[in-house]
Amino acid sequence: MAADDTLATLNAFSFESPTTNYAVADTRNNRRCLAFSDAANDVAYWSHVMPQAYVGTTGVDVIIHWSATAITGDVDWDVAFERFHATHDADTDGFATDNSVDNTTVPATSGYPAATTVTFTDGVDMDSVVAGDMFRLRVTRDSTADTAVGDIQVYAIEIRES
Amino acid sequence: MARLNATDLEGVRAEFAKDISRVREPISVTKPELAAAVDGLDQYMNESQGLINAAIPLAARTGLTTPQKARLLLHVINKRYITGA
Repeated sequence: MAADDTLATLNAFSFESPTTNYAVADTRNNRRCLAFSDAANDVAYWSHVMPQAYVGTTGVDVIIHWSATAITGDVDWDVAFERFHATHDADTDGFATDNSVDNTTVPATSGYPAATTVTFTDGVDMDSVVAGDMFRLRVTRDSTADTAVGDIQVYAIEIRES
Repeated sequence: MARLNATDLEGVRAEFAKDISRVREPISVTKPELAAAVDGLDQYMNESQGLINAAIPLAARTGLTTPQKARLLLHVINKRYITGA
């Protein structure tokens, strides 16, 4: 695929949860979303298969589409890939290091959408995921470091070739 | 009653944030500012609990338990500043 082409769109309700500190399914005006609280570093996973169209030369952008309850403060996001391939045991986690985008100011009106782009270079940065690989994407709200009060609602995540 | 400890103060802040989120009510303070507000109110309550108790007429002051008086105070505050506002 060419740069900026969409590789995948991950719906809010196609998520998977850890056993603790998980984002919870919610709705906002009947829009399905995942609520990431401000009380803990809440986490959600998405499992997917990297499309065969992924060229794998530069990497991907992971774009988180969200809104906030608060109208002041900022949000910190951490995102990591885990390749599920060959000798990786499904019973264990094997995420690569998180990539972070910090201090994204929330929209000045509650409920207005925002998008945060987290960039990954091809290779170990995205746990060496290549076309056709199963993978998980882990999204964490780093709420111990950010300043926005209340929930952040995540509606969708786009993975785009960079 | 002594001041709330740090865990309880953060618990109050987080519960308030959860309430605000549930009703989708915009809020224009940051987490540190909200935490400072919780701390300030707890300090005020700690210093003023005797005055508040003394404001209750004797029969109710001695007839109600401390949790009952606290709930009564909640109802008065609720009517004055939330539902009655």
